[in-house]
Amino acid sequence: MKHALFLSILSCAWAQSGIDVPAIGIVADPSGSLRAVQGVAGNFLLGPPIATGVLSAACSEQLCLAKTDSRILSATGQADAPPGRAIFGFDGDRAIVFFAESRAFARWNKDRLEPLDWTVDDDVLSILTGNKGIEVALRRDWAAVTNGPVLLLREGVLFATADELVFRHRDGSEARFELTGGESITPMGPHYAAIRAGAVTFALRLDPGYEQLFLLPGSAP
Amino acid sequence: MKCVVILTLLVPFAAKAQIALYVLNGSTATPAGAALDLGRVAAGDTLSIRLRIKNIGTSVANISRFAADGIGFTTDRPSVPFPIAPGSAQDVLLSFRATAPAVYSANVQVNSQINNISVIAVVSVVNGPSLTVFPVCTGSDGPPPAIDFGRVQSGQLRLCNFSLQNTSAQPMPIATFQVTGTAFRISSGPKAPFTIAPGDATVFVIEFTPATAGLYSGALAIETRTFALSGTAFDSPLPKPLLEFDSGPMQSAQQRRLTMRLPSAAPVTASGFVNLAFIPDTTLVTDDPAVVFLATGTRTLPFSVTLGSTQILISGQTSATFQTGTSSGRIRFTLSGISTDGDPTTTLTIPAALLSFDTTTAARRTGNLDIQLIGFDNTYAAGAMVFTFFDASGQTLQPGAILADFTQAFRTFFTKTQAGSAFQVRVSFPVTGDTSGIAGVEMKLSNSAGTTTTHLTFQ
Repeated sequence: MKHALFLSILSCAWAQSGIDVPAIGIVADPSGSLRAVQGVAGNFLLGPPIATGVLSAACSEQLCLAKTDSRILSATGQADAPPGRAIFGFDGDRAIVFFAESRAFARWNKDRLEPLDWTVDDDVLSILTGNKGIEVALRRDWAAVTNGPVLLLREGVLFATADELVFRHRDGSEARFELTGGESITPMGPHYAAIRAGAVTFALRLDPGYEQLFLLPGSAP
Repeated sequence: MKCVVILTLLVPFAAKAQIALYVLNGSTATPAGAALDLGRVAAGDTLSIRLRIKNIGTSVANISRFAADGIGFTTDRPSVPFPIAPGSAQDVLLSFRATAPAVYSANVQVNSQINNISVIAVVSVVNGPSLTVFPVCTGSDGPPPAIDFGRVQSGQLRLCNFSLQNTSAQPMPIATFQVTGTAFRISSGPKAPFTIAPGDATVFVIEFTPATAGLYSGALAIETRTFALSGTAFDSPLPKPLLEFDSGPMQSAQQRRLTMRLPSAAPVTASGFVNLAFIPDTTLVTDDPAVVFLATGTRTLPFSVTLGSTQILISGQTSATFQTGTSSGRIRFTLSGISTDGDPTTTLTIPAALLSFDTTTAARRTGNLDIQLIGFDNTYAAGAMVFTFFDASGQTLQPGAILADFTQAFRTFFTKTQAGSAFQVRVSFPVTGDTSGIAGVEMKLSNSAGTTTTHLTFQ
């Protein structure tokens, strides 16, 4: 009877909240232009440049950030920042930011950058925030595995060797993809990582059971 | 003292009345003046200008000395002394070459029994850009700086790729960047003026499209350096190229590989373009913008084949990856800029398919059950949906199947966005009371290819 009551409401009051082109995330293309990525697996569309001179970009489900030489940009604001590339570790609508040149940490919170008095004596490859606190991948910790890029993920860790891309899951299982010369790995969105190899940008789908490596459309000169 | 001043003033006047020095630019002669700025020249390059010594007097002038005293300057002239009759002229060549960047000068002197001329020539030696010529063209910075476009079938196109590099430690401004000559044209690259950062490079492409068979020449001027362009056109088609694809059925939302080869060795080196076009089955959209070559995100790529080879390189690679989009229809591949024995056009059919989903989620919210779908409908006919809710034991909850029809909303979306058929939609069911008894939902989603059934569990 209880079920019949609310289901009778269901049957006549459904609503769809609008149909949109699926948003996948953002990526900084090889020329430094920030572009929105839309579509579904195997079918990607790159939007027009949103910003130029972008050195680093990353996206989570709730927040996208981009780093130019002197600023951090979000969808709602921007703030002055130290020069050079940045590593982002997202925590809901906030983020921990590491500035590679100055090896300084800061917290991005409501479009403001708050310096953190953390210090590190090595290169930070990736930052992951979660229930267990903040996890940081340092170059020396990964030196025996790879001298390429590393991205910590809730599902595991993604790293590039000279000729492979490896997605190592939390349970130790691995998915390997042939990829030569991976230079950087960034979170493109909640379901994809962007891997730069020269002038080519790949997109790795991260959903468990659906891991697959794709190419992103290039930018015509 | 007064007489000395007067004589000093008269000397230049008298000199102008006898022999005079001019700079030739083509057939135009301009008085050299007291200083001659030769401009800039790239280190290691040779700069030459033609000078004219003219006797504008009424008696024969015997030229006893013609010299350019300065490091790197040379002259090409008759042996001195040589006479110049009244009203006549003698042309000479003044050249300069140095390898170290600096400002150089020389005193250019012309002496005769009537009057002497002294002109200071100044030239700046700068680091010039380094040009790399990629196959199928050949050439180099020189000397002499020259680029050969090779043999091209008349009426067809040859593309030559170049990289212009600044090997110096200073920014390199490029004010002059242009091509002259029939059949030669810059098809892509930077527009002057531009600056190349230290250690950086910029790429550009020059087209060679000879209309008829024959020899062609032109020039590429880059700042301080001019490259001679040459090419030959002939009449001969290639054997019909074969367009092939990686194995597996063609479907939407795929990234597939195109390879091209010749059935027999190429009789000539040739280049052109491979183009793709998409013709959707539906009339709701006119195109699918995701159907592109992934290397550039465009629908055209250059290709080339070398004499004697069967391998066709696409953008310099052995294959080109393209997306099949999210629309049923036909992808048509054509070749342009090349003449072949037969039409190599190849068409792929992307069949209509059931609705396909990347992500499906079902979640409870206070007062609502939310179902989110991310996928695509390559028939552009989605909209009819049936939802049936279940309890934890798998029993259907009343009132059973709930029909929803979003056909018009989907049609409006597809028509408005013209971005393929990928979509994300959230369907919410308002509820009252305890929703914990609702464990899952079965969805039947239909398009013109059939019905997709999906089961979701509420999180």
